[in-house]
Amino acid sequence: MTNQEKGQSKRHLTLQQKQNLTGWIFLLPASLLIIWMSFYPMVRAFVVSLMRGKPTALEFSDPLWRNYQRMTMDTVFIQSLKNTFTYLIIQVPIMLVLALIFASLLNRKDIRFKGIFRTCIFLPCATALVSYSIIFRTLFAYDGFVNAILLNLRLISEPINWMNDPTGAKTVIIIALIWRWTGYNMVFYLSAMQSIDYSIYEAARIDGAGPLTQLTKITMPLLKPVILVTAIMSTNGTLQLYDESVNLTNGGPANASITMSHYIYNTTFVTSPNFGYAAEMSFVILMFVAILSAIQMKVGDKR
Amino acid sequence: MSKGAFRKYGSKALIYLFLIVMSFISVFPLYWCFVSAFNTTPEILGGKLVPGGHLMENITNLLDQQKVFTALKNSFINTILVVLLSLTVCSVAGYGFEVYHDKGKDTVMKILMLSMMVPFVAIMVPMFQMFSAMGMLNKYIGFVLPSISTPFLIMLFRSNARSFPKEIIEAARIDGLNEVQIFVRMFIPTMRPTYAAAATVTFMNSWNSYLWPRIIFKTNESITMPMLISNLMSGYVLDYGLIMAAVTICTLPTVIIFFFLQKSFTEAIAGSVK
Amino acid sequence: MKKFLSMLLILALAISMSSMAFAAEDGKLTIWCWDVNFNVAAMEVAKKMYQEEHPDVEIEVVNSTGSGDIETSVVQAATAGDLSTLADIILYQDNSYQKLVANYPEVFTDLTDLYDFTDFAEGKSSFSIVDGHHYGIPFDAGTAVAAYRTDVLEQAGYTIDDMNDITWDRAIEIGKDVKEKTGLPLFSAQAGSSDWTVIILKSCGASMFNEDGSVNLKDNDQLKAALDVYLTLVREGVLVEVNSWDEYIGTMSNESVVGTFNGCWILASVMSLTDQAGKWGMANIPSLVGVDGATNYSSNGGSSWAITQGTDIDLAVDFMQAYRNVDFYNEILPTTSAIASYNPAKEGSNYTDVNEFMGTPVFADIIEYGEHVPPVVSSPYYYDARDALATAQTNILNGADIQAELENAQNTVEFAMDF
Repeated sequence: MTNQEKGQSKRHLTLQQKQNLTGWIFLLPASLLIIWMSFYPMVRAFVVSLMRGKPTALEFSDPLWRNYQRMTMDTVFIQSLKNTFTYLIIQVPIMLVLALIFASLLNRKDIRFKGIFRTCIFLPCATALVSYSIIFRTLFAYDGFVNAILLNLRLISEPINWMNDPTGAKTVIIIALIWRWTGYNMVFYLSAMQSIDYSIYEAARIDGAGPLTQLTKITMPLLKPVILVTAIMSTNGTLQLYDESVNLTNGGPANASITMSHYIYNTTFVTSPNFGYAAEMSFVILMFVAILSAIQMKVGDKR
Repeated sequence: MSKGAFRKYGSKALIYLFLIVMSFISVFPLYWCFVSAFNTTPEILGGKLVPGGHLMENITNLLDQQKVFTALKNSFINTILVVLLSLTVCSVAGYGFEVYHDKGKDTVMKILMLSMMVPFVAIMVPMFQMFSAMGMLNKYIGFVLPSISTPFLIMLFRSNARSFPKEIIEAARIDGLNEVQIFVRMFIPTMRPTYAAAATVTFMNSWNSYLWPRIIFKTNESITMPMLISNLMSGYVLDYGLIMAAVTICTLPTVIIFFFLQKSFTEAIAGSVK
Repeated sequence: MKKFLSMLLILALAISMSSMAFAAEDGKLTIWCWDVNFNVAAMEVAKKMYQEEHPDVEIEVVNSTGSGDIETSVVQAATAGDLSTLADIILYQDNSYQKLVANYPEVFTDLTDLYDFTDFAEGKSSFSIVDGHHYGIPFDAGTAVAAYRTDVLEQAGYTIDDMNDITWDRAIEIGKDVKEKTGLPLFSAQAGSSDWTVIILKSCGASMFNEDGSVNLKDNDQLKAALDVYLTLVREGVLVEVNSWDEYIGTMSNESVVGTFNGCWILASVMSLTDQAGKWGMANIPSLVGVDGATNYSSNGGSSWAITQGTDIDLAVDFMQAYRNVDFYNEILPTTSAIASYNPAKEGSNYTDVNEFMGTPVFADIIEYGEHVPPVVSSPYYYDARDALATAQTNILNGADIQAELENAQNTVEFAMDF
C-alpha cells in the first residue's frame, strides 16, 4: 500500500484494499507453487552455472564466468544454437499462420463435419512420439514415400537423402514440428473465437471483405492476446526443443540438426558429466527466451 | 449455373478439399500405429498398411510382459489430479491477474512467466534433490506437484478473462455478491470454452509426460503408460507390433477426451456476455 | 513478499542440504535393470534359484525404463547425496562404467576382494575395471559377430566357411562380387554412428585413448585403418547406410542385405525372423590388414551388474554367485538369448547343441570368440570420443579431409576434458 492510496477517502480505501487483497489471495497459490517448483531449482541451477568440477565435488570456478567464456569456444554449442534459431525462425510463423487458417475455417458456420476435421487436425499432438518418429523416419527414408511423390511430380531428379543431409534433416524436423503442433495451437484460437460475435463477419462479408481481409482485419486483432500467448509458448517450446532432435535425427548428420537442449542433456547425462557447463548453457537459453518474450510482449501487449 | 454460384461452390469445394487433405496427413501416423497393432514386426517394417490378424497375439504378449492395468490406473490418477488442481489454481490466478490487475500484479506475472523459460534438463537435478528430500518419490504427489501451476495456463486464463466484461463484475458487486461468488457464479460458466481447451491440453500434457515420471517413479507399482512404452523400446529386440498395441492403448484416452471436450469450444457462450 | 521469498529460499536450501544417506540394509534385495525379455527375465531366473535355497529373502526385480534412465537415477542420487533411492544391484552398460565410477565413486562397491572374477572373458571384464579394481560383475557378452545369409552367399558361389578368419581386404572383395552377382550389399549400418569403426578398431586391441588417459584420435594409425575400411565399404556399396534402428532391422527382415555385423546380441533380432530360419550362418569378424595386433575378435555393447555401496553387500554378493553358475546361464539362454561372458558356461547343453536357426552351435562359438577379444583401454570420456568420431566419420564420408576431421574430433574431446 503506498502512502498516496492511504490518503484517499476511507470508505473507498477499504473497498479498494479489500479487492486488492482478494486479488493477491487469488494469485497466491499459483505464485507460491511456481516459486517453489521453478524459481528455487532455477536459482540453484544458476549457482551451479558458476561452478566447475566433478558433479559431487563442484567448486566455484575462477573466474566465475569461466563457463560462459568456455561456451564461446564450443563449436558444437554454436552449431546447436544456429540450428535452434533456424527452427524458430522458420517453424513458428508458419505453424501459427496455419493454425489461424484452420481455426477460422473451422469456425465458419457454413462448413459441415467440423467436429471430425477438428479432431483430425488436433490428433497429431496426441500421437505418441514413438509412433510418429518411426513413421516420419520411414516416410523420409531414401526410398521412402516422400521421395517417391517428389520424383513422380518431377520436382526432383534424384531422391534426397533427407536424414543424411544437413538441410534435409533440419527440414524434416521443421515439418514434424509443424505437423505435430498446429492443431494444438488451433484449439486455443478456436476457443478464443467463441467470444467474437459472428455477426461481425457477416457484416464484413456484406461489405465485400474477402476471407483474407476478414482474417487480418477482424480475427487477428481480436485474437491478439491469445496469439501472443501461443507465440510466446511456441518460441519457448522451440528454443527448448529436445524430443525431435533425439528421436528423429539424433542430432545428425554430424550435429547438423542437434538442438541446444539435446546438447545440454548429453553434457549432463550421456557424455562425461559437466554440470556447471550444462547449467550455464541452460541459462543462455533462458536469456534468449526471456529477451524474445519481452520483445513479443512489447509488440503484442498494448493495452 | 451462374458465375457467382460457381465461385461460391467452387471456393467451398476447395476448402473441403484442403481440410480433407490436411486431416488425412494429420491422421495418417495414428492410423498407421493403429493398423500396426494388428501386424507383426516384419510386416510393419515391410510397410504393411492394412490390419492383419495378430492383434490378440500382440495384446496377449503385452499383458503377459507388462503391468498394463497398473500403468493405466496410475496414468489416470496422476492425470486427473493434475487437471483438477491445475485448472482450479491457474484459473483463479489468471482471473486474479486480469480482474484485479495493477502495476504490482503485472510485475509478478512477468516474473512468473520467466519460470517457463527454463529448460527442464537444467532443473532436473535440483528438482530430484528436492523431491527425494521431501520423500515424494514413487508417490502421486511427486508427479502432481510440479504440474499444478503453469504460467501457460495462467496466461491463457488471463488473456481470455480480458473478454469477460468488467460491467458484469461491477453489477454483481452491486447485487451483493462477494468476490469468490462472482468468480464461481459468473466467471466459470462464461469461460467454459477456455476451461475445455485448458483441460484438453493439460490432460494431454500430463498423460504423455515422461521425462519427469521416469525420474521420480522407481518401482514396478508406480509405472505410467509412457514409461511402459519407453520400457518396451529399451530392449535389444524390438517387437513393433506389441509396441504399437501399447501406443494405441496409450493414445486412445487423449483422443476420446478431445472428442468430447471439443464440443465445449464451439458452444455458444451464455447470454450475459454479449 | 521479499522477506517471504528469501525465507522460502533459505528453507528450501536447508532441506536440500540434508546430509548424506545410504541405501538401507533391510535384508531385502532390490535390482534395477531394463529389457523385460532379456535382463529382467534373466534376473527373475536368478531370483527363483536363490529363493529355492533362501526362501526368506525378499527380492524385487524392477523393470526400469532403459539404461539411460538408470544412469540418470544414479547421477541424481549421487548429487543429492542420498543413495537410499538406489537399488542394491544395478545393471549398467559396459561403456558407462569408467564414466560413472570416475564421477560417482561413492555409489560403487569395490568388488575385487568380494567376488571371484576368474573365468570371465578378459576383454569383457576390462570394461568395469577402474585403476585395477573390479566394480562390475560381467553379464551378457557383446562379442562381435558377423552373420550372413548362407543361401545368398551360395548364389554367388561362397559358403559360410569362406567368411571365417578372413581379412577386410578379402571381405570387401567378396562383398563386391556378391553385390555384382546378387545385387545385394553385404551389410547395413546406421548412418551417423561410429559403432563399426570402433568395433574394427577394438579388434586390434587399440583404443581411442592412450594408457595415460589422454585422447588418441588424430595420430592413431589403427583408427585411420579402421576408418578406411568403413569408408571403402560404403563407397564400394558393400555396406548400405540407413538412417535409423528400425530401418536397420528392416534391411534384414526385408531381405535387402546379405548379412549383419554387430555385437552378438543382434542374433536375437535375426532369430526373431522365423521365416528365415536355416538360411543364416555365423562367422567371426574380418581382421585389419597391416596393423599391429590385428585379430578377428572384438565387441560392441553388453552390460554388467554393480552393487551399490551401503546396501546389503554380503547378501547381494551371495545372490550374485548365480553369475558363476553354468546351470543358470544354460537355463536363461533359450528364453532370453543372453550369451554369457563366463567362459565355463559354454559347456552347458543349450550352448553345445546345434542351433536350429543358424545351423551350428553358435552360442558356444561366441563364448570361444569372447575369450579371444583383446582388452582395450577405456575412458570416462568414451561417449565424448564416440560422438566426436561419429561426427568426423560423417564429414569424411561427405568429402572432408580425414586428418583435419580427426584433429577436430581430438579437439572436441580435449575441450570436454578441460572443464
